[in-house]
Amino acid sequence: MRFGKPVGKSDKLFYLSLMPFAALILATFTLIFIALVKESIPIFLKEGPRFILSATWAPSERSPSEEFYGVLAPIIGTLITSGVAIVIALPVALALTVFLEEFIPPNIKGVLSGLVDVMAGLPTVLYGLWGAYVLAPFLKTYVLATLHKGLSWLPLFSCTPATPYTLLTAGVLLSIMVTPFLTSLTREAYELVPYTYREAALSLGLTRSEYITLLLSLIRPAVTAASLLSLGRAVGETIAVSMTVGNSFALTTCLLSPGYTVSSLIANQFSNAGFYRYMTSALYGAGLALLLTGLGLNLVGLKIMSEWRSGLHG
Amino acid sequence: MRGRRAALGFAFLIAVIAAVTAFYFTGMQTSSHQVVRLRGSGATFPQPQLEAWMQEFMKAHPNVEVEYSGVGSGAGQEQFFNGLTDFCGSDPPLTHEVWVKHRGEVLQIPYVLGAVTVVYNLPELSGDEHLNVSGEVLALMYSGQIKYWDDPRILALNPALKDVLPHREVVAVHRSDASGTTQIFTTFLHSSAPTQWPDRLVGKTIDWPVDSTGRGIGGKGNAGVTAVVVNTEYSIGYVEWSYAIKNRLRVAAVLNREGKPVLPSMKSIQEAASQSLTSGLIPLDPREDFSKELQAIVNPPGDGSYPITSFSHIIIWTNYTDRGKQEALREFIMWIMKEGRNYMVPGYAPVPQQIAEIGFKAAEILASP
Repeated sequence: MRFGKPVGKSDKLFYLSLMPFAALILATFTLIFIALVKESIPIFLKEGPRFILSATWAPSERSPSEEFYGVLAPIIGTLITSGVAIVIALPVALALTVFLEEFIPPNIKGVLSGLVDVMAGLPTVLYGLWGAYVLAPFLKTYVLATLHKGLSWLPLFSCTPATPYTLLTAGVLLSIMVTPFLTSLTREAYELVPYTYREAALSLGLTRSEYITLLLSLIRPAVTAASLLSLGRAVGETIAVSMTVGNSFALTTCLLSPGYTVSSLIANQFSNAGFYRYMTSALYGAGLALLLTGLGLNLVGLKIMSEWRSGLHG
Repeated sequence: MRGRRAALGFAFLIAVIAAVTAFYFTGMQTSSHQVVRLRGSGATFPQPQLEAWMQEFMKAHPNVEVEYSGVGSGAGQEQFFNGLTDFCGSDPPLTHEVWVKHRGEVLQIPYVLGAVTVVYNLPELSGDEHLNVSGEVLALMYSGQIKYWDDPRILALNPALKDVLPHREVVAVHRSDASGTTQIFTTFLHSSAPTQWPDRLVGKTIDWPVDSTGRGIGGKGNAGVTAVVVNTEYSIGYVEWSYAIKNRLRVAAVLNREGKPVLPSMKSIQEAASQSLTSGLIPLDPREDFSKELQAIVNPPGDGSYPITSFSHIIIWTNYTDRGKQEALREFIMWIMKEGRNYMVPGYAPVPQQIAEIGFKAAEILASP
């Protein structure tokens, strides 16, 4: 539903009074974007594409010409950890959605979904603490070595796990963090499927599993979009990841090795970047890469979501 | 009836507001009576010690208020030179370039001693045993060339632990943020093993060679490194001494220049500071250039010197437009040098007498018109 052009006088006033707020958001975003581009220009001028394609992070206090920054390792680390997060979180979120919507009496459903919402709102540093002190040692003792033993022929698990802080640890923690968010998005979509569809399906005499499969297939675009939005969250998560990923500049595709992500790199090094001529610019450049990735993911996600909504309700 | 009640309530409200306002303003008047406020920011490493001193100092000098925020040495210097603060706490002294730029305007005072301790997580070691390490072994660990704890080069330093050290991979833990601690630690590695640890790997944040082997981990701040070492069996790391004490971490003895393994202690740290003066690299005047000081205090001579020791500095102007501030700073510095040693926090050591003279000289300069 959309209103046409403002007609009456009061309508116009209302419209004008709202406009500055909308403009403010847009202006803020533009300013952030301009700042990122402007500040990252020196590093791109100095290193060119090697800034993105190299994995050496070598600050130097002797002379600025010896400084070299390459952010390939954190970029790959970001993609790996957030990829792992979605791969784990998606099936869990779908199972939770179906469970909450179809199998549970409404009063318990209220409690459970309330709990999921609380989890979505917990401060991320709490997840980080729990991840660093409980989850990481647990994974190290019971999971990492087993994965390595059983699946060492896969490059993903080929390296010996020496530490509890690995790309996989951060990925698992991220999956726990985005599951509540992802669940609430998929639940919303599931509940939005019109009753006419449901009644039609039931009147055809579908079994429960057939019925659920049908409903899930109906919301597939919404699920895709929700996954992309969650991926965006995982990409941007800072503290919790920094506490579990190992903060190590290792260019690797092995999940059992420590690694780095762009967000945790910025969080770790920004406060003292002023010691070096180019590091601030390099961190802005990494931030720009992060913003563009996040923007792309969100745009695609929102587009799929809105297409699906208009398709459903015509 | 109702009107009367409302009137009473209203009167009560007015009375409260009047009382609070009166109290506030009288309070303001008495407290604004010649109180001088000193603001400082900078290194986090000496913060617990500095805060303990500030507390005691303010008890003795109720007319002075000192505030300090731990923002890191780099940010502290920036805020000081931009005029946001009255003094700066910095672990490293000013670099030569910065000192030249402000020559004659600034005073640097080494005011407290600290140490970087090597900590480890080896479940096999019992409480009364401790590990010995040398700069060379540490350099080989942090460059990834020593892979296992039972490496012959480690065993050679630890004959007593021959059957205890396991065939497990060494995990080397370092800082993930730029830090003076890393600078001191890498300066020591380069000083004691220049071939294994070249000059380009010295700094506040460096490209750790061990990271590419998958056995290097970064932790943010002393707290982050502590957490990683505590949670990672067979790891080794470096933290400020006070953190090792507070968290009851196992501390290694480090081979000093004379080849003697020395544990960090008040005595071994002060010994290192006294010995560092023999190098001639540390000037005894706060107006001079301290930029070579780290080379002197890290890995100094002396059988009893703990080799990874460092000074922390207060950096101030020689002249303040506000004379009250200048006098308060003078009192604060005098107090630290005279009384400070009576209020030490575990993990720090007072500077030896010759160094304290630098502080007295600074106080003299501040007192001159």
